[in-house]
Amino acid sequence: MANHSTTTPAHLLHHYVDSDQQFDAAKLGMWIFIVTETLMFGGLFGAYIVYRVLYPELFTLASEELDTIMGSINTVVLIGSSLTVALAIKSAQVNNKRNIIINLAITLALACVFMIIKYFEYTHKFELGIFPGVYYEYGGIDHPQAHIFFSIYYMMTGLHGIHITIGIGLMIWLLVKASKNEFHSGYYTPVEIVGLYWHLVDIIWIFLFPLFYLID
Amino acid sequence: MSGHHSSSYKLLLSVAGALLALTVLTVVVHYMYIPEPYSIIIAVVIAVFKAALVALFFMNLYWDSRFNTMLFITAFVFLTLLVGITLLDVLSRDVPVPSF
Repeated sequence: MANHSTTTPAHLLHHYVDSDQQFDAAKLGMWIFIVTETLMFGGLFGAYIVYRVLYPELFTLASEELDTIMGSINTVVLIGSSLTVALAIKSAQVNNKRNIIINLAITLALACVFMIIKYFEYTHKFELGIFPGVYYEYGGIDHPQAHIFFSIYYMMTGLHGIHITIGIGLMIWLLVKASKNEFHSGYYTPVEIVGLYWHLVDIIWIFLFPLFYLID
Repeated sequence: MSGHHSSSYKLLLSVAGALLALTVLTVVVHYMYIPEPYSIIIAVVIAVFKAALVALFFMNLYWDSRFNTMLFITAFVFLTLLVGITLLDVLSRDVPVPSF
């Protein structure tokens, strides 16, 4: 038993056979979480589909209030951040600890850029009186159900924004761990798992962007 | 198990490039003002293709254990059930939801 502990890496928990089993178990758990996330957003996509089928003309009218340029920039920002997360994982695999930190820092910065653009979009709508649900008081859209479009818009982009904010926290956590040299080619599970989360958030935006911004 | 796949820099950059190109394409198609049913179909097909690129090559499903792919696809099977059965209900009513 004594010589066993000398060959066991520090990150390996005692109930796993080896690092690979621990890594695959972590990924399996994350994929199950991704399934629950898909179904949570799926309910909102369901609401979107139902109301778009009921009021197709409302969606074309109301979408004109959304800024296609800002939406496009945010799409590019998220694709860029997905790339840098993938590069951070690649850097860990080749033991380039400096590049892990650089790529995570760029991802963190891009996540903040996304939220800043979202802030400008939201505040512009608030100034017009476009609030969700019963607080809607904008008269610029000639449709009695205009508030429904924006309730769905705020719920979907808002929940997505909450995910980005959580992602910002996770990136900071990874940066702290990376700066303590905790990641290397033998152990980078947290980077891989947060990476999967971040790509999922990117995939959700890939659908939100055309469904909200590209229908006017 | 093939848990630790390491993609080349070239592949990662190519996937990101393809995603950017498809983003430009979907915006360009939008400004061509294609009539209603087709514009939605084209936009969703491009989005599905982009999502597949991210899932296969950034989330590594292409090299990963097939079990994880099965889990992810199962989510969409149940999502289709949710939306499909909801639409069967909503579309078979004269007044869908009163006051909504």
